[in-house]
Amino acid sequence: MIDIENISKWYGDFQVLTDCTTQVAKGEVVVVCGPSGSGKSTLIKCVNGLEPVQQGRISVDGDDVTAKGANLTALRSRIGMVFQHFELYPHMSVLENLCLAQEKVLKRPRAEAVTRAEKLLDRVGMADHAAKFPSQLSGGQQQRIAIARSLAMDPIAMLFDEPTSALDPEMIKEVLDVMVELAQEGMTMMVVTHEMGFARKVADRVIFMDNGAIVEDRQTAAFFDNPESERAQDFLSKILDH
Amino acid sequence: MNYNWNWGVLFEEQYLNWLISGFGWTISVALSAWCIAIVIGSLVGVGKTVPNKVIRGICATYVEIFRNVPLLVQMFIWYFAVPEMLPEDWGRWMKRDLPNPEFVTAVVALGLYTASRIAEQVRAGIETVPPGLSAAATAHGLSTAQTYRYVLLPISFRIIVPPLTSEFLTVFKNSSLALTIGLLELTAQSQQIAEYTFQGFEAFTAATVIYVCIALVATILMQVLEKYTRIPGYVGKEA
Amino acid sequence: MTDFDFNVIWSSLPFLWQGLQLSLLLTFLSIIGGIVLGTLLALARLSGIAPLAIVAATYVNLIRSVPLILVIFWFYFLVPLALGRPIGGFYSALIAFVLFEAAYYSEIMRAGIQSVKRGQVHAGQSTGLSYWQIQRYVVLPQAFRNMVPILVTQGIILFQDTSLVFVVSLRDFMTASSIVARTEGRLVEMYLFAALVYFAICFSGSMLVRSLKSRMAT
Repeated sequence: MIDIENISKWYGDFQVLTDCTTQVAKGEVVVVCGPSGSGKSTLIKCVNGLEPVQQGRISVDGDDVTAKGANLTALRSRIGMVFQHFELYPHMSVLENLCLAQEKVLKRPRAEAVTRAEKLLDRVGMADHAAKFPSQLSGGQQQRIAIARSLAMDPIAMLFDEPTSALDPEMIKEVLDVMVELAQEGMTMMVVTHEMGFARKVADRVIFMDNGAIVEDRQTAAFFDNPESERAQDFLSKILDH
Repeated sequence: MNYNWNWGVLFEEQYLNWLISGFGWTISVALSAWCIAIVIGSLVGVGKTVPNKVIRGICATYVEIFRNVPLLVQMFIWYFAVPEMLPEDWGRWMKRDLPNPEFVTAVVALGLYTASRIAEQVRAGIETVPPGLSAAATAHGLSTAQTYRYVLLPISFRIIVPPLTSEFLTVFKNSSLALTIGLLELTAQSQQIAEYTFQGFEAFTAATVIYVCIALVATILMQVLEKYTRIPGYVGKEA
Repeated sequence: MTDFDFNVIWSSLPFLWQGLQLSLLLTFLSIIGGIVLGTLLALARLSGIAPLAIVAATYVNLIRSVPLILVIFWFYFLVPLALGRPIGGFYSALIAFVLFEAAYYSEIMRAGIQSVKRGQVHAGQSTGLSYWQIQRYVVLPQAFRNMVPILVTQGIILFQDTSLVFVVSLRDFMTASSIVARTEGRLVEMYLFAALVYFAICFSGSMLVRSLKSRMAT
């Protein structure tokens, strides 16, 4: 479904991604981890063209994201994305946050958009908060709404960019629960996260990145039981120790 | 559009002289007013931050009055109303014996008006100095006046150099209001040339180009000033 | 010191009120036009399309270096020439004000647009909204909201600026006051009264700004 072939990316002279290649199959859940600054967030942002790449090719469901003149807006509407800082629109109610792109991009009639939004809010346990504004909600609640906002577009895949790293510890679980449920329903997911418990539980594969390169790309059990590279071993021992 | 171009008109001796004289008045009014504005604006701005309530109140009132009445109205009040409101002897002196009354009035009106705007910048500058610094100065045994003299003002004046640049440009633009009380500064002269020659396009272009040049020079001067006053490592240009 | 005569104010109130209405109408229309054009200029400067950005930046910097009075003179001269017929002082003044104030509003809106976090744009992009849709529904509403106090402050300045139509004898509040002052020979009363009226309106405006700011800070 998602094909990443030999992509490299620079900010000026600084190389942030070096020759990254991987695939995510339909229904697969892939966790991307690695130390901060390893390029994992950049990699995931390239998948829906939020960040341009200078070399290589990315295609999603057969459509080339990196091609010149690619119809990015159409493509993006089919891939959901959840951000570290939620990025709900602060000037709109929860309901409007969920309806905006449904109406403007998918051209759904208002009534249909609202029904769909309400159904999804119910699903993430936020049905009572439709009329509230983002600033009136906790981080965990905002993130669940952000997930619902993406789902409202009926995406064929979901990208998560450190969805829990801006959350207080007691709120992490409520967001992860929603994500686990999604994974179990067969959603194709690419998740940048440090939550190794989540990775062990639902990920099919784990990608480990360091210095802009993919260092390991393996089945979940294999990654955790005997990581090949020293850097991954080092990373795992640090992150699992506490 | 029917228009007979004649750029040569700008270089006829009479009109060229008008432009030069207008330029001279614009510069004189603006720079004189700027001197008044800096002195009074600093005093009033500092006054808005001192502990004494009465002084603070007076300075706040000054700012509100001068900021909330259009400069044109202020100019008219200084020129037409004040001589009538003063004791008779003074009023007569202002009307009869004051040399260059349009110039003096324009400078006073523009200076006091600009002072209210500078006062706000100075106050804001002082308020951005972290309170810990003045606490530290007090703890060293400096008096309030010394704290201002050696700590607050040196820092805040450097902070406000960039916003002052835009005030400095504004004072040149606002000096054009002097034409309403009959001072033939640059804008008035260009208008006069337009009326005499019907070459409005050329006349206004000349004035526009001169104003743009003034703005460029003023900006460069302030940037040089900023460079020399910047504290290494302290709040940069963006802050 | 002359005696004050307040009757002159009282008897000329209807005339002054007409002038004030013209001032307020000119202010209102110029604010609307200035914000619309200013926002377009700001979008052009931030569009990333070099020729568009350069044209907008040149326009803004040019207008910001010349006095409003000169701009008013320019348009009193240019508008009839360009249209081939006079369209009346009010419309010439309105065009001059919109074009002049747009330069100042564009700087405010540019700061406002830049105050919206990049993540918001990413969020819009990731749901497939187009560039214009993101500006229209996500960025500009937030930019306006963040800039409301400064926009109102600029509105107060604009209201004060409208007094400058005096130079072309358009009958606003200032010109009306001045006409009464001269014909009745009551300069002191009329100019002080004009100052008082401007002060009352502008001071209420700055109070509004203050309360908006404190409400936004919480």
